[in-house]
Amino acid sequence: MLHGVARFRILLRSRPTNCTGRHPFRKNLMSFAQRIDGRTVVFEVDGQLIVGNRHELKRMVQAALEDGARRFVIDFARTGYVDSSGLGVLVSLSKEIRAVGGDLRLASLNQDLQTLFDLTRLDTFFRISDDLEEALRE
Amino acid sequence: MAPAVRVTERVVLDLPADIAAIEEAVERAVEYCAPARLDRDRLRFNFRVGLTEALSNAILFGGGGDRDRSVRVELRVGLGEVRARVSDRGGGFDPGAVPDPRLPENLSKPSGRGVFLMRALMDEVRFNEAGNEVTLVLRDTGGEQTPARPGAGADTPGPAGLVAPAGRGNRPPKHAAADAMAREMRLAHDLQMKLLPPIPRVRGVEAAARVVPAESVGGDFYQVLQLSRGRTGVMIGDVSGHGFPAALIMALVMSAAAISAQQGGAPATVLEHLDRAIGDELASTEMYLSLFYGVISPGVPEVAYANAGHPHAFVVEPGGTARRLLATDPPMGIGEAPFRESSAEWTPGEDLLFLFTDGLSDTLARRGRKSGEDRVLSTVAEHHHRPAVEILERLFEISAGAVPSIPADDRTAVVVRTG
Repeated sequence: MLHGVARFRILLRSRPTNCTGRHPFRKNLMSFAQRIDGRTVVFEVDGQLIVGNRHELKRMVQAALEDGARRFVIDFARTGYVDSSGLGVLVSLSKEIRAVGGDLRLASLNQDLQTLFDLTRLDTFFRISDDLEEALRE
Repeated sequence: MAPAVRVTERVVLDLPADIAAIEEAVERAVEYCAPARLDRDRLRFNFRVGLTEALSNAILFGGGGDRDRSVRVELRVGLGEVRARVSDRGGGFDPGAVPDPRLPENLSKPSGRGVFLMRALMDEVRFNEAGNEVTLVLRDTGGEQTPARPGAGADTPGPAGLVAPAGRGNRPPKHAAADAMAREMRLAHDLQMKLLPPIPRVRGVEAAARVVPAESVGGDFYQVLQLSRGRTGVMIGDVSGHGFPAALIMALVMSAAAISAQQGGAPATVLEHLDRAIGDELASTEMYLSLFYGVISPGVPEVAYANAGHPHAFVVEPGGTARRLLATDPPMGIGEAPFRESSAEWTPGEDLLFLFTDGLSDTLARRGRKSGEDRVLSTVAEHHHRPAVEILERLFEISAGAVPSIPADDRTAVVVRTG
């Protein structure tokens, strides 16, 4: 019993070429804010960490690593969702950071995100803090 | 139960085969699904993640890097149910093959969680025969969902999902390659079955184990080992991926495990030896391996174990209480040495050590229920007093009669009792 079909075509206007992780259609739909707290570099994932933007986060973390930073926190307090590619990039960043004796913590996972980590058993792979404050204190 | 679905709306979204288009497509799809009146959180999270995975696969595998190709999402939105059919124009997918070389290395690594997440978060996931179309279904669960909100068809997650080499490993083969595939699968299974060792007869130890291979997968294994000083080693593993590559990994693990375990190492040490032996192979094939290894020593009231991401390891007490032996590390191939070790209370003569792989619980997963694991465990609890081999009989009887809600995977179980 179809009441009609709506058809839509999504157009791609431009590729996201900057390193802010900004979405090409919607401003600030997702971005990664970076700041420094003492010896720790904190990244905030604002929006989604998915296949389309994971490289931006990776590049930002790698740049900080090259600059000599060793303590990292990725804060998910403002994150909507993460897909398997997003999980993958966190895994590879964690390996890179550990390889040079550094430390990566994840903070402020909401219940949905915590579920993703539990489902994939990545909860045993990462050091996860309840909130940013706790991550920075440790 | 989900109410009868009346299709009220159909929406077709076409998007370019470019990952940058995924997010907008997903956001729009979520908006169009509002009339279904599903649980808002499940729509906002489960549906978004599931659809993102399906689109990533369609774009990465079906688009072949060509943005001019398009990917289509067809939504059918009814009261209490949303169906999203994602199709691409790719030529199908061969699950036995290594990942598509056209994919930039950095797009596919470290990969393999996509199909798993779809299955875990949606209520139904179905691939078409050609392997270029997937249908995702999210239903009204009638308020039954847990705070964790897994899909009704989701089982406790395991490596079968973690693993498929390129995230789309469960897509059925392309017709042209089907014959060669079938041959390879048969060889892989022969290899798998030949390698599984007999259960040693040891005084004071009663053990039974069985693998029932699926048609298209090879990679489950177990070992029950008689160690020095009367100790017993028990191992179960599930190699991600399919066919020959998985069977090869399994063969390497089996031989390395036997050698390492016979040297009498502690569980974590055995896992470290294994990781050294197969780590490179896992990395180069992008496969993962969940592995549990436990050691029971005479007169010691505990099981010492190391668990690299194996989801289904339990001590089952006579009263039916099942204590899960949680993973101490992620699966091999994801996690890295050193491996950790833990222990669980063990009452000889009473407790059962019970290990199984997802294939078994997936078979028993029923629509609208969280997991087949409950059924597996309650079956073991019910027959707890029987000989180990009879407990297995019962389990496999039930699973043979079940209509799987998830495509078939190897089914493996091990039961051990001491004292």
